[in-house]
Amino acid sequence: MTLWELPKKKQARVTKLDDSMTSVLKVRLNEMGFVPGELLTCMKRTAFNGPLVIQIQDCVYTLDRQLAENIAVE
Amino acid sequence: MKRIILVGKPNSGKSLLFNQLTGLKQKVANFPGVTVELKSGKFEEFELVDFPGTYSLSSISTDESIAINQLHAAMSDKNTCLVVCNLDATKLERSLVFALQVQQLAKQHNKSVVFSLNMVDQLTRFSHQIDTKKLSSQLGSPVYALSAKSLEGLSEFSSALKEHAKHPETAVIQCPTIDNDQSARAVKFAKELAKEHAINQDIALKQQNSLDSFLLNSVAGGIVFLAIMFFLFQSIFTWAAPLMDAVESGVGFLGELVASQLSVGVVNDFLQDAIFGGFGAFLVFVPQIMVLTLIIGLLEDSGYLARAALICHKPLSLFGLSGRSFIPYLSGHACAIPAILAARTIESPRKRLITMVTVPLMSCSARLPVYALLIAVFVPNESYFYGWVNLQGAVFFCLYFGGICMALIVSKLLNTWMTAKDAATDLPFILELPSYRLPHWRPLMYKTINSGKQFIYRAAPIIFMVSVIIWVLGYFPNNGDLGSSYLAYLGKVLDPIFAPMGLDWRYTVAILVSFLAREVFVGVLGTLFSIENADENINGLAQQIQADGLTLASAIALLIFYVIALQCVATVATLKGETSKNRYSWGIFVFYGVLAYCLSMTVYFIIT
Ligand SMILES: Nc1nc2c(ncn2[C@@H]2O[C@H](COP(=O)(O)OP(=O)(O)O)[C@@H](O)[C@H]2O)c(=O)[nH]1
Repeated sequence: MTLWELPKKKQARVTKLDDSMTSVLKVRLNEMGFVPGELLTCMKRTAFNGPLVIQIQDCVYTLDRQLAENIAVE
Repeated sequence: MKRIILVGKPNSGKSLLFNQLTGLKQKVANFPGVTVELKSGKFEEFELVDFPGTYSLSSISTDESIAINQLHAAMSDKNTCLVVCNLDATKLERSLVFALQVQQLAKQHNKSVVFSLNMVDQLTRFSHQIDTKKLSSQLGSPVYALSAKSLEGLSEFSSALKEHAKHPETAVIQCPTIDNDQSARAVKFAKELAKEHAINQDIALKQQNSLDSFLLNSVAGGIVFLAIMFFLFQSIFTWAAPLMDAVESGVGFLGELVASQLSVGVVNDFLQDAIFGGFGAFLVFVPQIMVLTLIIGLLEDSGYLARAALICHKPLSLFGLSGRSFIPYLSGHACAIPAILAARTIESPRKRLITMVTVPLMSCSARLPVYALLIAVFVPNESYFYGWVNLQGAVFFCLYFGGICMALIVSKLLNTWMTAKDAATDLPFILELPSYRLPHWRPLMYKTINSGKQFIYRAAPIIFMVSVIIWVLGYFPNNGDLGSSYLAYLGKVLDPIFAPMGLDWRYTVAILVSFLAREVFVGVLGTLFSIENADENINGLAQQIQADGLTLASAIALLIFYVIALQCVATVATLKGETSKNRYSWGIFVFYGVLAYCLSMTVYFIIT
């Protein structure tokens, strides 16, 4: 499933960054902590399909649907 | 002078450390071939240069690539003697990913690196300690634990820094050179180190997450957001008002002082009308810009601005904008120029462009005197609901709101016009939510003072010139007789442009001149209505205009014109600098001018 489908308060592991993203972006996501095998928690979902808030390692990020759909988790 | 450069991830407390090390004396640094301003200050006998915070050495956006190019330039500069890389002890892993890349870059250029492990006061709260000796040997560069806020470890750090800067060989990097795939190695190595040294994330983030569950709540968070925005706009008026009065009386006092020293004549008239009347009037807005900068700085340093961007992301994306557009829009209410520069942080080039182009529709503080004058002429100063709602204030609010709506409409249109091809290069929205922190007064104070200074430096020359030229044209050839001056002659030729709106030549001149900078409108009208010190005495001018018989319809049309038109040469120049295309600078200037003209004309005809 994708990160976008992760319900609130649930944890998941990153499995893959979608290949449709540019390699520069994937490198950046890696540097931000989105490495396959990494555990993340969905902290919050905002109304009207707004951005998600997730915690991964020592950081909290907010990201929008477009990006969350490109990150596979399990 | 030898240079020390300071780098680090955003929100690692780098600005505060910089301020603590350098104190008051700060200026803009100059590196050969570098285009963007860097802060620089004196630390002992060295120059300390603060680099913009970045997450990585490979860039994904314009502002990052500028910052990274600057870093490369500085690394190869022979005057650079030492690199200080700031780490956030509460976010060790993320800080190290960047730090390890910086270390490799420094090694390539034979520079020495020192790490400052900042925010250790946050760790002591959870009685966690990092073994800096061990970390130093693992990293191969000296690490110093300190807190820029509570000052623990700071004096040790600064004396060590001085020694290392004098003898860079004491901090030579003791780690192997990595040639390929630095980023992946940095990610991996940072993880190992963090596992050993870092504090448990859930403990460190607990407070932040519980605050967020309130502040990002759809209902409560929305209310807090609106309350903060309301407070912000309120304070632009209430906090700045006494300061503005002070500046105003200061200028008035100086004017009188000078007048009493000089005999009556052309020179005296010139100083009074052009210098104190025209030029002095614009100094009055400086406090407003400073107050707005202060509040935005407070929101930024406390970590709230990122949350505001998150809250606004969805609504703004309906208009083709990003959550990050919120920050330029907000600061656009003080001045469009810093706001256009702030758009650099927007991830996608297309959204950045739309934001920059629509920022000038925000009611910047230069529009205030125009609004204030026309409102004083036509709107009675009445209060309703036990003084909670003031009629004049409500009209002000409508004008601000009108500007924002217009910006959203234009954004939507631009978004539809731009082709799908641009959308492909769009970067997605991802933003770190930094921990909430109590801001420190020092960086805030410097930021506030600098914003005032920069506004003066930028706007002063043009306002000065306009004041002088208008005065000369309006004063001669018949020493002070406006009706027969060159300006009157010119104005009557141009009058047909605005005559259909019920405005005579004096307004025409004031409007046309204010295409250079809109704040001169009041000054020009004041001079033309032959009142001395027009701006200091708006009620006087307002009464004159009332007596002169400006109609309500004309005044409303004029207000609408000022809400929309891009009357500011400095903004056009900034747009040109940022977009490097005439289409987006002069094109937008013409577009908003025509739009303003058509709309105000339409409204005028509907009313009459
Ligand atoms: N508790 C604590 N807060 C700090 C420390 N250093 C900086 N801060 C705060 O962290 C916030 C972000 O700092 P800033 O210097 O703006 O970070 P920058 O983005 O790296 O320049 C500000 O509110 C600072 O007051 C520190 O050592 N301890």
